[in-house]
Amino acid sequence: MRIACPFCGERENGEFTYLGDAKPQRPAMVALEVAGGAAGEAEAFYDYVYLRDNVAGEMDEYWYHGGGCRSWLRLTRNTATHEITSVEAAPGTGASSSPASTAGTIS
Amino acid sequence: MADFTWTATSPLQHATRPRRHGAAVQQSGIVLSEVLDFSLVLILARRGQWSATAKAAKEFFGAEAPAKPLAVRGKTTTLFWSGADQFYALFPRVPAAQPLDGMREPFAAKASLSDQSDGRCLIQISGPKVRAMLAKLSSLDLDGSVFPVGAAAATSIDHSGVNLWRDTDAADGSPVYNVLVFTSFADSIWHTILDSSAEYGVEVVRPHALDEKPSS
Repeated sequence: MRIACPFCGERENGEFTYLGDAKPQRPAMVALEVAGGAAGEAEAFYDYVYLRDNVAGEMDEYWYHGGGCRSWLRLTRNTATHEITSVEAAPGTGASSSPASTAGTIS
Repeated sequence: MADFTWTATSPLQHATRPRRHGAAVQQSGIVLSEVLDFSLVLILARRGQWSATAKAAKEFFGAEAPAKPLAVRGKTTTLFWSGADQFYALFPRVPAAQPLDGMREPFAAKASLSDQSDGRCLIQISGPKVRAMLAKLSSLDLDGSVFPVGAAAATSIDHSGVNLWRDTDAADGSPVYNVLVFTSFADSIWHTILDSSAEYGVEVVRPHALDEKPSS
């Protein structure tokens, strides 16, 4: 499997580290509120920390290009075939002015 | 009390003794040397400050800041890309001066500067068989059509992160590659290179300065 880093170009997967599912979003509450929080908050946090889907098919994932440009990437990969259909820099990469935008790519 | 004078020495100082290694051939397939006496500063643009950083670099170094994997030469400084919105400045060491002297002000509030001069070793590899040898160590496609003079990459060799870029060709027309490695891994990578080069015959030439061509 090779990953086309938007900054470096196509590289072997040995240069990358897998984080996991990019879908889970941290519940909008601070940890201190968990104990006395509203009903369901602790469960939402538990889900966020522990529960993962075991997808056989397309999945959004975070990968880290530690053996190269040290950027976090977000890619869509088919876990059954390893086919990668999209790769983009994770939000906040480089000096991009908005955390939601992506930094420059190779033209 | 006695004053101490610290002499910087390379971890490669014993390894780089000029000699021939490997196959006994008429012309060595690989020419290997260490580059000494350089200063190296990592420049990381801050959030939203890439254009301002690039402008400051252009004024300070007289070279275009690389926004993609390239090595750009100024008069005395080479700027090479190392990641998203960050690059290294490599220039000859000035005795009794600190690498960041004069840089703090022009880059203030635009970029973070990190002096890496004593943290890296610079290995220069050339010779007619250099690409065949590097093919054993690197997964990059180094063919001239996709990795011409001035191309750069942040990649891994032997599980260690390196910065690699192609310099102007040697006098015999062979490509020249610079490999910047962590000092603590330098000896290990040097010997990996030496082992991979043995079948082609290696000539280790004496360490030289940045602006000096390797010679035996």
